[in-house]
Amino acid sequence: MTATLDRASASLAPGRPPASPIAPPRRRVSGARVAGWLAIAALLGFGVYSIGGLGLDASYLAHASAKLSQFFGQTSNTITFPSPADLAYLTGLTLGVVVLGTLVAALISVPIAYLAAANTAPAPWLRWLGRAIGVVTRAVPDVVLAFSVSLMFALGSTIPGVIAIGIHSIGMISKLFADAIEQIDEGPRTAIRAAGGSPAQQFWAGVFPQVLPAWIATVLHRFDINVRGSAILGYAGVGGLGYAMALAFHQFDYGRGFGIAIVIFALCVALEIVSSTVRRALLGIQPTGRGLGDRIVRAATKGRRAADAPAGASARPTAVASSAAPPADLTGLLRRPWTRDRVRNTAWVVAALFFVGLAIWWAQIDPNQIMWPQVAPVLSSFWPPSFGSAGAAAVFTALLETLQVAFAAALVSLVLALAIGSFAARNVAPNGWVRGVARVVLTALRGIPELIVALFLIVIVGLGAIPAFVALAIGGVGLLGKLIADSFEEVDAGPERALTAAGATRTQRYAAATLPQGAPALIGHALYLVDTNVRAATLLGAVGAGGIGYYLALSAPQLDLHGEVTTLVAILVVVVLALEGIAAWLRRVFG
Amino acid sequence: MSTTTRPAPVIRVTGVTKDYGSAVGLRGVDLTVNRGEVVVLLGLSGSGKSTLLRHLDGLERPSSGEVEVLGESVPRLRARQLRRLRGRVAMIFQQFELVPSLTVLENVLTGAVGQLRGPRLGLGSYPRSFRLRALAHLERVGLLARAYDRADRLSGGQQQRVAIARALMQDPEILLADEPVASLDPESSRQVMALIREIAADDGLTVVCSLHQVDLALGWGDRVVGLRSGEIVLDTPTAGLSKTKAMEIYGRVTTSTAELQLEFTGALL
Repeated sequence: MTATLDRASASLAPGRPPASPIAPPRRRVSGARVAGWLAIAALLGFGVYSIGGLGLDASYLAHASAKLSQFFGQTSNTITFPSPADLAYLTGLTLGVVVLGTLVAALISVPIAYLAAANTAPAPWLRWLGRAIGVVTRAVPDVVLAFSVSLMFALGSTIPGVIAIGIHSIGMISKLFADAIEQIDEGPRTAIRAAGGSPAQQFWAGVFPQVLPAWIATVLHRFDINVRGSAILGYAGVGGLGYAMALAFHQFDYGRGFGIAIVIFALCVALEIVSSTVRRALLGIQPTGRGLGDRIVRAATKGRRAADAPAGASARPTAVASSAAPPADLTGLLRRPWTRDRVRNTAWVVAALFFVGLAIWWAQIDPNQIMWPQVAPVLSSFWPPSFGSAGAAAVFTALLETLQVAFAAALVSLVLALAIGSFAARNVAPNGWVRGVARVVLTALRGIPELIVALFLIVIVGLGAIPAFVALAIGGVGLLGKLIADSFEEVDAGPERALTAAGATRTQRYAAATLPQGAPALIGHALYLVDTNVRAATLLGAVGAGGIGYYLALSAPQLDLHGEVTTLVAILVVVVLALEGIAAWLRRVFG
Repeated sequence: MSTTTRPAPVIRVTGVTKDYGSAVGLRGVDLTVNRGEVVVLLGLSGSGKSTLLRHLDGLERPSSGEVEVLGESVPRLRARQLRRLRGRVAMIFQQFELVPSLTVLENVLTGAVGQLRGPRLGLGSYPRSFRLRALAHLERVGLLARAYDRADRLSGGQQQRVAIARALMQDPEILLADEPVASLDPESSRQVMALIREIAADDGLTVVCSLHQVDLALGWGDRVVGLRSGEIVLDTPTAGLSKTKAMEIYGRVTTSTAELQLEFTGALL
């Protein structure tokens, strides 16, 4: 652009009449952009091909609707719940395993995040190590981990569940922990360094207090995800609600199975409300949006915030450097007063410790459940990697199936999310009412535990990829729609105002200003959805959706097939890294 | 000052050049500061004041030249020795750099990490004697009543006084101050500058303080060192230094315009 302008102005220089008529400037397209567009076209094309390849036709729909109506006709009358005592016990067991697993992951993630964050990494190679641990742990589905390690423990032990959640969650938690470290204000840390603080002192006094709120939010978020995932973990024999549900389905006791599924669903919703309330109360995150929900919360907390206003105005500063007063006066001040803030924080900490203690007690962790003679054989069984009995061709066909489910679901989510998400953006929605409805729809969709829905569909309609596709496509709308709405609201308002001033209609403004500015974020979010879909599709494969997850579930419980697990996980790592690489490259090209 | 009779240099910078690749931070800087002196580094932003201060605390290493502080060659120190030296040299910053979510008292206590082994988090992790000392320092800067408030609840001037208390917690021999009042209103600026001066006198501290306001510098330090584009262009006792002369640091700009601009900037800040 500037080059063409320069050329034009040069030829228009005074005193030098243009030698030739000015040619209209040619549009120059960089090679990278062409490649970027081609890549996007290829990704979308693969998505369309994937939808076509699912075998979703009229006869399947007829079959599915027949199955569903048959099911609801039969089962709706016969849904049964376990006795309240059993239910309480199972819920406690599930929560115990999830709390402990998430906690273990959080603790292990602290040093990994320290290594992986650019500003705390002691050396570049350690930074890569920290990131590599995150990528690998994220790629191994927790069901596979639970199957694999359960061979080391007594039957019915909950430790495999804790280990599976504990290892798998490291990936996400350590990444978000590291992101938080990279976003701190470096000043306080520099001040402690300037006072002679060692790296450990800098971290605990200067970094940790700054990242703690974000870290707590991350752990709570992961806790929600793990509660949803615990339904699937039951299939790997991890005790709790998920196991009771899997057992009921195995015995064709559908009424009981769905009773438990409803309980898990309710538990997910309840815990999400609890954790978002805790996040708000503990971290002082004030809702700032203009949505209805935000307004209600703001109104409810208004009075309290006014009371919390700093008392600084009244404290008259006295800049008198008098020599220190006798220490006798100061010893009385050594005790920290019980202010409202301190009481509240202490209450939270005590409550948290109480629940963690309860979880440990309830999960019945017992070191005697470890079968020590089995530990070394199980650990060594993962090497060397192999394609096992299935063979490479079958494995790659299965990988294609998994990718098809992920891409097909992401494409459907993208189309729906773009529509709903746009109307949920303040600068696109015609009025607050439309925006409010769109936001509520997105929130409701986000609340659906897609893994449980997929499981539900697999049980009723039958094994196959389509139930997983449907569940992921619906679940993805909530996540992607929210991300799209947020990134549309963040675009520069200037061009929109300029177009409005030029008399553009709402649609013209959207097409010419909002969409082009939001496009790079849109591409990134869509690929992020593909990434999470690949993981979820793998997980669902383990419980009947086919694909690479099927082979993982087949080989994980058998010691002599563990070489195959290693191969499959390595393939997943490569796929996940490739997707992240493509996303990063596209962000660079269009950013 | 009495130090003129028995000069004992605590800071000796010789021929220091800092090359950032794209830009030159310092060129051939020579500076000697004696024990007990209060020196002002004067110059516009980007003239190299902060870079020079950061070299004195080993936060930056020179591309060439020698930095000697309290008899130690700063660039040659190993990590542990450098931490020990930093413990004897305190620093305060333009943006105060307190940990916002910690209490005022704990922020003061973080000044003592150099005297303690191992990481510290929470008031209880500091020995009782340290907590008593921290309270005494808070009393000295007039903020004892705010000891248990979160640091980010305080005003800018109060936060800078907490940062001074944190610096005192180090029992420093040298105090480095990097534009300590550039983010403060005039009244808070006056209080903070008076406090630094008073503490320096009481405790016999050596102070090197960077400023960009000529008026503050003239009435405050023993000696003014002017920097422009990474070079020292003026090094003279404050006594007898005229404002016109000091203004020459700022270069080609005529005195009156420069003065106007500076006062305008000062008012804005």
